[in-house]
Order: sequence, then structure tokens, then C-alpha cells
Amino acid sequence: MRFLFILGEIGSGLRRNLSMVISVVLVTFISLTFVGAAGMLQMQINQMKGYWYDKVQVAVFLCNDGSTAAGCASGPVTKEQQANIRALLDSPAVKQYINDYQFESQAEAYTHFKEQFSNSPIVDSVSQDQLPASFRINMKDPQKYQIISETFSSQPGVETVSDQRQVLERIFSWMNGASVAAVGVAAVMIFCAVLLITTTIRLSAFSRRRETGIMRLVGASKMVIQLPFILEGVIAAVVGALLASVTLWLMAHFWLNGDLSKQFLNTPFISSTQVLVIAPVLIALGGGLAGISSLLTLRRYLKV
Amino acid sequence: MSCPAGFLRAMIRFENVTKVYEQNARPALDSVSLEINRGEFTFLVGASGSGKSTFLRLILKEDKASSGSVYVAGQNVANISSWRVPKLRRGIGVVFQDFRLLPQKNVFANVAFAMQVIGKSRSIIRETVPEVLKTVGLEGKERRMPHELSGGEQQRVAIARAVVNRPGILLADEPTGNLDPITSMGIMGVLDKINQNGTTVVMATHDDDIVNEMRRRVVELKNGKVIRDEAKALYTSMIPVVGESRRLKDASGEELNRAQGVQL
Ligand SMILES: Nc1ncnc2c1ncn2[C@@H]1O[C@H](COP(=O)(O)OP(=O)(O)OP(=O)(O)O)[C@@H](O)[C@H]1O
Ligand SMILES: [Mg+2]
Repeated sequence: MRFLFILGEIGSGLRRNLSMVISVVLVTFISLTFVGAAGMLQMQINQMKGYWYDKVQVAVFLCNDGSTAAGCASGPVTKEQQANIRALLDSPAVKQYINDYQFESQAEAYTHFKEQFSNSPIVDSVSQDQLPASFRINMKDPQKYQIISETFSSQPGVETVSDQRQVLERIFSWMNGASVAAVGVAAVMIFCAVLLITTTIRLSAFSRRRETGIMRLVGASKMVIQLPFILEGVIAAVVGALLASVTLWLMAHFWLNGDLSKQFLNTPFISSTQVLVIAPVLIALGGGLAGISSLLTLRRYLKV
Repeated sequence: MSCPAGFLRAMIRFENVTKVYEQNARPALDSVSLEINRGEFTFLVGASGSGKSTFLRLILKEDKASSGSVYVAGQNVANISSWRVPKLRRGIGVVFQDFRLLPQKNVFANVAFAMQVIGKSRSIIRETVPEVLKTVGLEGKERRMPHELSGGEQQRVAIARAVVNRPGILLADEPTGNLDPITSMGIMGVLDKINQNGTTVVMATHDDDIVNEMRRRVVELKNGKVIRDEAKALYTSMIPVVGESRRLKDASGEELNRAQGVQL
């Protein structure tokens, strides 16, 4: 009974304040979309980092069937060449620059590739043979990349030596900048949302002061009096959060996994299902903020 | 709950209660000591600003006494924690001069509202509300909206709402203030009936006809002090009265005469 009653009160509150409620929904929608976009950028960065990014700096790719580099004139890397490279890595001349290294076989390379490009159609057109085996080197000082590069590029059986971090880091710094901007916009918008929720709840409390006055007099509990107002704000904010989640999902589904992934075949993109992880965060954030700001407003403007 | 025997008889008990709203102003209530017994019907009279509404608000714990203690049903309201105040108020019905009905709810819904908000079940509401509406003389008007009712009928709805949860105390702050004399007498009939059913009634009023007609206990306030407390009394004191029914303790005859002067 009390539950039904509270539901009814929420309904009448939402209807009475419809225009304010809609603005709360829209402002939380926009602000949480920006929050979510920042989250998606970070997820995208992680996706692009792949398996090795945080573990090593330099990759020495070995020749495979399709290699065209000069060092691969003799065909795919041989066992002997591989042993030589390993010996070189263990030699004191090189060892002083590196912490350690790992060997990634073609099979392992294929596994990691499949993980990273799980959302991309490219995964079906690549076979294990097309991927090079590699030595992955963790540098003591990543700035000394040049020395390693010079040492190994000329080795027989080495297709190329690359510092993937340097290529990616520029993109990442751009993406990080974009997420900071998104968070900045989101912060301003969230501030607006909180102010708007506060005003809405205040108006709502004012327009229902007759009811709440009577509720107090007949001994309704604090919760019964306040809950409809709090839930009014929370529901509006959660609707905004749901809209934001849907928008982000549509963006991932039709843009990232649609147009963009066709244009940039070599870039792994996050999937639209991954984006769904953001939704509960946005809902909790929106609902939590609305709940807290409603509660604080009521404390000032609604006598119980 | 075990209460001292004396407290059980006293439904409302004021012990040296002083209420100061503003530091420099004179107190709204000035060391008032008073007992109102279970089942009693008490009029609270006095000029505007004499402290009648303040007296009622202290009973409801709407305001805190600046000093002294207010006991309701044996319990010092100062010791009631804020989350138990609703429970205190469930035991007290309140009626005002301005009815305070919800304009968009019909008569039934206005009364039912008081039960809904404290979590009464739908079936109990459906059973109780018509009964109470019958008690206040509003049978057959359940579906009317407040604007379709006369002032007297609106006040009956307000009374029904105040008593629907069967409170032990009914506080009425000038309930007939907006009504003509005949309608007012009708309302008094309702309040009397509720009192007959065992509810302690405290009514603040300026309406001398009513007080004179009813002949109940009269407590007169002036500048926050009790200057008269008389059983079966009139609106203005008739001194000398029969000694037995005169309960005035601490007001001097001089003050009484002045009080009379104000009233006339
Ligand atoms: N909330 C308040 N803040 C400050 N002063 C108040 C407040 N409420 C009442 N007072 C003062 O307390 C005194 C008593 O007021 P109260 O309302 O109790 O009088 P009353 O007897 O009910 O008057 P009336 O017959 O006009 O209703 C008055 O002087 C009034 O100005
Ligand atoms: Mg008053």
C-alpha cells in the first residue's frame, strides 16, 4: 500500500513538473554521454595497445613466408638464424640495455591477434602463417631504441625492428586529450544537471507543500514524505543515463564497428557489447548524483 | 510501557513551559503549567497573540519549548527522537481554521490520504473512511470535490481526516473561525461527538457563543500566561464563580479584571 502510494506520488510529481523533469533528463543525458565517451576513448586506447604494449617496448619481427624485406631474401627465418638472434640478445653488448625479452611464436602471435581484432572482419582473412614470429624486448631505457634497432635490423632472418609504442603514443596522447576534454565538458554539464535537479526538487517540494504538510501532521514517516521527491530526481537522471547509454551503443555499433572499422582495417575497435559495460556506471553515476542532490535539497527545503 | 499513575490520567501536561521565539520579544508562552486529562474537552481562549497556537504546536513537537517540559500521554516530547516524532503525531489529530484539504482529491481521497501515508491497507481504508465520514455527517458526499462543499462541510472533511487514524488527542486551532454561527454549532456537535467517544479535545477559539454554549473547561491565556482555568466555564470569566469549579492557581484577581477588559 505504502509502496503503491509512493509510486502514485512520484507519478503525479513527474507530471506536475514535466518541463523541468524533461530538462533534467536531457542535461543528464548530454553530460553522461560525454562521461561515457571519455570512457569509450580509454577503452579504445586499451584495445589498441594490444597484448604487448604495456610489457615491452621494442619488437624484432622475424621473416615469414610473405616477407619482402632485404634481410628476408633467404626466405623464412631458420632455426639457426633464430638461435643467433637469441645469442645476440644474451650477449653482454645487448644485455646491458635490456631488462628481458620474450619470444612470440607465430601461433602465439595469432592468438594475440585474434584477441585484439576480435571485433574486426580482418580476423577471418589472416592465417597463422601470415603473422611473423618476434622477439619482444623490454628496454631498461626506452630512449635507447636506436641502438637495438641498428644491432638487429641487419641480422639475417630479421624482417624489421619496430618501436610500436612511438607510433601509438602520438595517437594515444591525442585520444587522452580528447577524453580530458570530454571529462571537462561532462563536469560542467554535470554541475548544470545537479543545479537543475536541485531546482526541480525545490519546485516540486514547493508545489506539493500542502500534501507534505498534511503528511507530517498525520504522522507519515520521513521516508514516505521524502522518497517520492528523491525518486523523482533519480528517475529523471536514470532515464538520462539510459539515453546516454543507448546513444553510446549506437555510436559504437554503427560508427566504430561500421564505417570506421571498414576505413581503418588495421585498427582494432572496441565492440558495441563492450560499451554496455559503461551503461551501469553511467546509471549509477546519474542516479547517485540525483539522489544525493535531492536529499540535500530536501533537507533544506522540506520540513519533515 | 509503564508510566507513573499521575501521568496516565494527564493526557497533556505542561510543566513551567516557556517558549521564546525571538530573543528580545516577550515569550509566546510564559512558564505555563497545565494538565489536560484523558477524555477532557478544553477551550483555549485569549486575545490574538496570547499564545494559543504556540501551545498547540508544542504538543505536536512542531516547536521546541525554550524551557520546561511538555508531556503527551506520559512521555516528555523533548525525549522523542526525530524519527519517532511521526509516531507521536499519529496519536494526535489536528484541525485548522483554513481546513487544508487537498483541492484535487475528493472527500473520500482526502480522508483516505491520512491513512495511505501511514501505510494502512486498502481494505482497512475502504472500511474505515465511510464510517468516519458518517460520524462527521458527510454520508453520501464521498465523491464531492472540496470546491463543491460548503465551508462547514469542508471542515467536517478536515475533522474526519484528523480522526480517521483514531488519535487519542484532537487539537483544533480556531476550527470555526471561517464559519457562520449555525454552521459552527454543527461543527461543535461533531467535535463533541468525537470527545464523547473518548478523544481528548483541545480547541483554541475566539468564538464566545460556542464557548458559552458548550460550558466546558476554559483555559485563558494572556501574553503567554494562563490567567484563568475554569471548569464548565464561559468565554469571559464570571467572578465570583462557584469555588469548586474554579481552578485558577496563579493569576491574581487584578489580572483577571484586566483580562476581562481586553475581552469586552
Ligand atoms: N514562528 C514564530 N516566530 C516568531 N514569533 C512567533 C512565531 N509564532 C508565533 N510567534 C509569536 O508568538 C506569540 C504567540 O503567537 P500565537 O500564534 O501562539 O498566538 P495565538 O494566540 O494563536 O494568536 P491568534 O489568536 O491570532 O491565532 C505572538 O506574539 C507571535 O507574534
Ligand atoms: Mg493562533
